[in-house]
Amino acid sequence: MAADTSDTASTAEPTGGSAGSRPNVHIQDATKSFGGRVVVDIDDLILGTHPIEGLIGPNGAGKTTLMRMITHAISLDKGTVTLSAHDNDGPVVLSNLPTSSMAQHGVAKTNQVITDFEQLTILDSMLLSIAKGPDERAYKIYREQGLYADHIDEIQWYLDQFDFEDPYGFAGSAGEKKLLDIIRCLLLRPRVLLLDEPTAGLPDHVRDQLMELIKQKTAEENMAVVIVEHDLHVIWTMCDYVHFMAEGSVVLQGEPAYIRDHETVIEQYLGSGHV
Amino acid sequence: MNLDWLDAFLVYGLFSVLMVIGLALLLHLQLGLARIANFGIVGFWGLGMYAFGVLFVRVDWPFGEVWAFLISMAFGTLVAGLAGLAVGWVIADLDTDGVLVGTLGFATCVWIVATTEQDLTGGALGMGGLGFPYDIGSVKANETLWLAILAIVVALILYYVSRVHKSSYGRLLISIGDNEPLARSLGKRSFRTKLLLFAGTSAAMGFLGAIFGVMERFLDTGNLGIDITLAAMVALVVGGTTRTWGAVVGAALTVAIFDILFQSYIPFPQSWYGQAIPNIREMTFGAALILVLMFRPNGMLGEMRRDKLMRRMHGS
Amino acid sequence: MDIISDSIVVGLTEQAPLILAAMGFALLYRLTGLINVAYSETITLGAYMAMWINTTFDLNFYTILIPTGILAGLISVATYFAVFRPAKLRHVGGLEMIIISFGLSVFLRHGLQFVFGYPVRFFDVPAPHTIFVLGVGVSSFRLVAVISVFVLALGLFWFIQKTSYGLQIRALASDEGLAQVSGIRPLAVTVLIWFLAGVAGGLAGAFYGVGSAAAPLLGWRQFLFILLVVLVGGAKNIGGVIIVGAITAVSLTFMTLQFGQALYSQLVLIVVFIVILKVRGTRAAEAGKV
Repeated sequence: MAADTSDTASTAEPTGGSAGSRPNVHIQDATKSFGGRVVVDIDDLILGTHPIEGLIGPNGAGKTTLMRMITHAISLDKGTVTLSAHDNDGPVVLSNLPTSSMAQHGVAKTNQVITDFEQLTILDSMLLSIAKGPDERAYKIYREQGLYADHIDEIQWYLDQFDFEDPYGFAGSAGEKKLLDIIRCLLLRPRVLLLDEPTAGLPDHVRDQLMELIKQKTAEENMAVVIVEHDLHVIWTMCDYVHFMAEGSVVLQGEPAYIRDHETVIEQYLGSGHV
Repeated sequence: MNLDWLDAFLVYGLFSVLMVIGLALLLHLQLGLARIANFGIVGFWGLGMYAFGVLFVRVDWPFGEVWAFLISMAFGTLVAGLAGLAVGWVIADLDTDGVLVGTLGFATCVWIVATTEQDLTGGALGMGGLGFPYDIGSVKANETLWLAILAIVVALILYYVSRVHKSSYGRLLISIGDNEPLARSLGKRSFRTKLLLFAGTSAAMGFLGAIFGVMERFLDTGNLGIDITLAAMVALVVGGTTRTWGAVVGAALTVAIFDILFQSYIPFPQSWYGQAIPNIREMTFGAALILVLMFRPNGMLGEMRRDKLMRRMHGS
Repeated sequence: MDIISDSIVVGLTEQAPLILAAMGFALLYRLTGLINVAYSETITLGAYMAMWINTTFDLNFYTILIPTGILAGLISVATYFAVFRPAKLRHVGGLEMIIISFGLSVFLRHGLQFVFGYPVRFFDVPAPHTIFVLGVGVSSFRLVAVISVFVLALGLFWFIQKTSYGLQIRALASDEGLAQVSGIRPLAVTVLIWFLAGVAGGLAGAFYGVGSAAAPLLGWRQFLFILLVVLVGGAKNIGGVIIVGAITAVSLTFMTLQFGQALYSQLVLIVVFIVILKVRGTRAAEAGKV
């Protein structure tokens, strides 16, 4: 099923940064099936024409799978994913690269389920994210202090924003782990940031703080954000544009208000009890 | 300096304990940090030993003994490193079962080649002609100096390992061992990192093998059994796989008891030393692996404690 | 003599114990997910047990197979209760479990030398009859080994596919939690698996032992090949293991006849099998990336 262009609202005008210079991800003719069942089948989709975009849809619509296809954490059956960052690099075909090259090209994805390094502390996680290949050579056994000195301001900024119990210790609660997962990605300074259910497990005030911060970062840095989220309040307040996915394809696109009131969405997803 | 207390048994016991500490420290980088279970330590160690020995003994060196010795040492290290590169390439993206087969298979291959290529290695009969690159007097003096050289090498390895824990490189290794997909998503090239780690540590194991060969003066395939792999693994597991000092503490609690305490200080009946004590040694090592991993999986020193380290390094 | 038919007859009869052992190992690996390094000691103990029964009670080789199989099965179950079950209840990780089984292997290998002594021990059996198969002389013991492989393979197949216990084993292997809910007693079934694996290993040991002698390293020497056969043959079905085991047996013999050196053929086989595993493993990693 292809995105039905007649349903696409044309009124959306990107805000914050010009549309031409914003990094975007172009997914073409991409499919993925598991055990014979087609999970994702995208004809042509561009993510990132607006600063913050939402990706919603019922369970099993293929949202998380699509995100993992973008970072090549799962291979595509066919099709391509291309990153256009509009800088000196030119377009990069992400679907030809290993997952470990994504960060280098500025694509980062947070994890839906809580994912953390059991052996690493909060500070460790942040330094790990910041460190680049040359910092981590086997013979650079004295590099750590320099790395720390170079980046402590940036780390401290995040630590000031959020209330971690003990930055030298391990992330304790599910909320801290979730938050740390997102900060790790932000520290990569991504050009395209994919947030997979970022608010699940976060206390309300942290969630609001985090969303504010994402907005701020998106405005300050030339970054495109895509949010997969079940908490639709977040989608309606955060996003400039929303893609609605069902059965592996994007069936509807438009501004939040447009999607919110569209009968297909209400029927297939929100249900009649939706407020 | 009075070295009367240092008899041949003690020199040899200390040498074998230091050897095991060196190998266990290298295994710590592989298994403790990057979680690569190397069951073929003896393969890399033995390859270094034989590559060194064969080059040194079989080649008609046109120049001085010392240079021939050093070149052969470098050759042994290099060959073991290249083998580590090849085996590392095979196992770096396989699961634990694959790593077990790959490393065990490699060790068996080394044994087979050492056994069959009799013209080069002397096969099961063995090969003599190795010796110290110096002569400072008595056998005891020569051996003691070689022991001191090994001690320096092992101390350097220990220093390197302790620096790795405090460096960004160590953090990278830990992250890959801990959660490889997550590390990859943060841009860490896990395959390349594991490959280079394995090659480097294998080269160092080969170097230690060459050092061992010099002390033995005689190479035979009996050295290529599972014993040295077992000893290094037991030392590391008993001490603590994830701790810098794990290998040292573990070796003191296991190999040192059998190879120093029982050999030099406890007067067991002479007949026990032939088969009973070596047999009990291996049995105890096997039991130690089971009991420690079951009841104290982090070994005597306990878990890694990055929190303490971070506070010490970066705390205000 | 034709080298092909020689390789087939000699290979299959000489390496039948390998196939037998691989079947037992695969059963355990497939159904409990465990790479049990100590399985090599089940084989060694099978050889010692058979030798001990043979020399103590003066029974002929065919008769001792039954008590040997049962004893080896019981020892296998005992290792499960003494080591693997407690370890599992303590949630020991997969890598640590392999190291534990390695430790047990070493422990048993050296422990049995206290019981049976250090020198290798020989069976006290009359020289086997020689039977000609395709013009190649084969010892009757080896023919019995081949027959055992067939009988045990058919028995296992029948047992796993056709009986209610087999159904329970399969259910347990695919989903332990679900199996437990549906009223299967995992413990009884698990014990049965360990017993059967032990029987296969013990008999393999008896056949290895009567061909040469009972020696401490008997099982360990075979372990790498068992592991390779099982991993390459795929632990999913016994059929794959038997086929790869048979290919291994024939090609080992063929290459040994060609090179005149058994170790070279082992070397070639190890390298080839590891390359196969590498190619397959990389593909699996590609498919299963998180």
